[in-house]
Amino acid sequence: MSARLLQWAGQAAAYAGFAAFVGYFSSAPAYTHLDPAMALVKVSFSHGAPRQAACRERSAEELAKLPPTMRRKMDCPRVRPTVSLELLVDGIPLIAESLPPSGLSKDGPSRIYRTIPVTAGTHTLTARLRDTIRDDGEWDYERTITAELAPAQNFVVDFRADAGGFLFR
Amino acid sequence: MTLIEWRDSFKTGIESVDFEHAELVALINRLYDRLGAASGRREAVAAFLGELHDGIAAHFALEEKLMRKHRYAGLPEHKDDHEKLLDEIRDIMEEHERGVFDDASDRLAERLDIWFSRHFNTFDRRLHEAVSGG
Amino acid sequence: MNALRRPVRAFFAALEGLFDRIFGPEQNPLAHLGALGFFFYWIVVATGVHLYIGFDTSVAGAYDSVEHLSRSPWFLAGVSRSLHRYASDALVVVMFVHILREFGLDRCRGVRWFSWVVGMPIIVFVYASGISGYWLVWDRLAQYVAIASTEWLDWLPIFGEPIARNFLTRGSLDDRFFTLLVFLHIAVPLILVFVLWIHLQRISRPDINPPKRLAAGTAAMLLGLSLVYPATSQGPADLGTVTSIVRPDWFYLPLYPLVDFLSAGSVWAIVAGATLVMLAIPWLPPLRRPPAAVVTLDLCNGCGRCAEDCPYSAISMAPRSDGKPFEVEAVVDPDLCVSCGICVGACPTSTPFRSDPKLPTAIDVPEPALHALRDATREASRRCVGDRRILVFGCLHSAAALQPESADTAVVPLPCVGMLPPSFIDYVLSRDLADGVFLAGCADSSSYNRLGPRWTRARLAGERDPRLRQRVPRDRLAAAWLAPRDRKRLAAEIDAFRARLPKRAPASSARPALVAEREPAQ
Repeated sequence: MSARLLQWAGQAAAYAGFAAFVGYFSSAPAYTHLDPAMALVKVSFSHGAPRQAACRERSAEELAKLPPTMRRKMDCPRVRPTVSLELLVDGIPLIAESLPPSGLSKDGPSRIYRTIPVTAGTHTLTARLRDTIRDDGEWDYERTITAELAPAQNFVVDFRADAGGFLFR
Repeated sequence: MTLIEWRDSFKTGIESVDFEHAELVALINRLYDRLGAASGRREAVAAFLGELHDGIAAHFALEEKLMRKHRYAGLPEHKDDHEKLLDEIRDIMEEHERGVFDDASDRLAERLDIWFSRHFNTFDRRLHEAVSGG
Repeated sequence: MNALRRPVRAFFAALEGLFDRIFGPEQNPLAHLGALGFFFYWIVVATGVHLYIGFDTSVAGAYDSVEHLSRSPWFLAGVSRSLHRYASDALVVVMFVHILREFGLDRCRGVRWFSWVVGMPIIVFVYASGISGYWLVWDRLAQYVAIASTEWLDWLPIFGEPIARNFLTRGSLDDRFFTLLVFLHIAVPLILVFVLWIHLQRISRPDINPPKRLAAGTAAMLLGLSLVYPATSQGPADLGTVTSIVRPDWFYLPLYPLVDFLSAGSVWAIVAGATLVMLAIPWLPPLRRPPAAVVTLDLCNGCGRCAEDCPYSAISMAPRSDGKPFEVEAVVDPDLCVSCGICVGACPTSTPFRSDPKLPTAIDVPEPALHALRDATREASRRCVGDRRILVFGCLHSAAALQPESADTAVVPLPCVGMLPPSFIDYVLSRDLADGVFLAGCADSSSYNRLGPRWTRARLAGERDPRLRQRVPRDRLAAAWLAPRDRKRLAAEIDAFRARLPKRAPASSARPALVAEREPAQ
């Protein structure tokens, strides 16, 4: 009889132990993904720099060499220039990169997805982008904003050429 | 010289069963022949009995499978008799080992005849009738 | 490889021993891990269907619908929700313990690679199901999971636009994408069921339903947990903020903190590396592959007992090819045969009373062939002396593997106890090769060839063909089903058997042996 009782107790303990194990680890321990005192600046956009290379007219011989369906007079290179991006927070450059065009023929948009933890508080953010080939070192798009970043805020720096440039959200 | 004469009435109508029955009857008759010969050594007879036991075990397995397949209503009783027959052939084998049938080969022949025919004329006949649409 | 396997096996041996005492050997959860996995899966599916009825598949409405389900009336859908979560978690636990145990029992190698390799996608689909499920709640945990998952996936160069952009800001996530996630959470578990079916393909009579008391116990456990500690959401998602403190379900989401700690690329490398190692396990050394079973058509009449008994569905009955008037013949698929020999034990022509030293039988395993088994039996008998000689027919994977011999005890090793034709027991006892026969096979819960112990017990009890003859004295026969950890218990049982062996009647000891068993067969 007591052997039976011990068995029941053992089973209860086994089940309870398993339940406790499952119950606990199903939502604990907590994990700090981002320091609660920090905010997150997320830079993400997809922008195709406008093609700048000049189109060239094809000569008659070159046209003859091409298959009949591909005989276009103008030969326009599809390659896009590299996009340069800079992000400064309180004057400190946190991003200063060249973003090459995507795709096998290098004719796709340049993309970026970057997350930068930043301490909460008031900061001045400056975003700059160059998408043309120029030698004066100037930027095609530039925007500055002073923002109050709350802890755990997701501050997004987006870019849309048709909307006028950088968008801060 | 044959102990068991093969008759067409032995046919159950199932080709594989009839084939094995014929083989087993031939085996028993060969054994009977051996018994009759002057040099029926005990070991040779024992070997035959071993082959007979082996063959009948396989035959019963096949018959039972077929009875299951045809959903034969008499399967339980028929299978019980199979098990009894296997016990009996083992009894015969052991008695032979002990020398019961030394100088009494006709008694062995008689035992084997009864062993085979009884089952055949009862259970197998009923199976034949059931299978051939009786 | 064995160096890795032995400690795992030892661990399970200890745990199973403990659970055998607590649950009893039939209800031991460690013997039914796969079945428990299936059981939990059905609970998850049933509760999932229940929850889906009240679930709002729009981004705006998802969180609130889950909250509503969880609270009113709480005793219905709320319990379902908690059950849904905890059964899923239990499923992951049981799955990994099952994998570890099968590895420890060495049941994944050689021909048995199929079950193991098909099991790998099961892990992937289970995780995809669970992770997508957490996504659907659209609470702060879901938000974290969504962003972390897509950022991790974006490391692969397969997406043009980074898919993480779907979660960039408030309003980025549209209903269309969210509905895609809902669809995934339904489609992936469906595909999982299909993969589970394939996983069982080369296993005959798989154990997919746990015994009733165990099922009731675990169901009650999950229900109790759901009532005591209901699953909750972690506040509505807000893509304008970041989930700083995450309370993940560590069963499904352990890799995400790892991505933060290392990098997306490193975690991909870890996952890829682990997958490759796991996939290679069936073929890692030491790999010994005994030759497959062979059918001798002349002797086969198609009775089908071998096909019935084979634990690996390696034997099928095919239409006759030799012109004999039998309907079918046995055909062995060598790619599925593990050479356990259970088919040899099932075949009615595997009788040892014949004089042919080659002892042909309709189906035989080359190592050891039936004639070798008979020779070994005779040899073992010669090694025993005294009036309480015991012949132990022992499975190499059971406690008998290391059973020592003594003056009056000899061991005949077998790849599986199911290989022994019952007629051999009749042979040993009627020819006075031993005073007692002891069968030592695996414990059911860890039987190496799955069905050997079960079939053997049924054959001895006269419930399964080929039956042990009634005339065989049962007081001279004993059996024990013990795992290698129970070696001492096996030795004790053999001793106890020896002690209760009836003394041989004086007449029989004077019996002349017909075929002189103690000399080489002619």
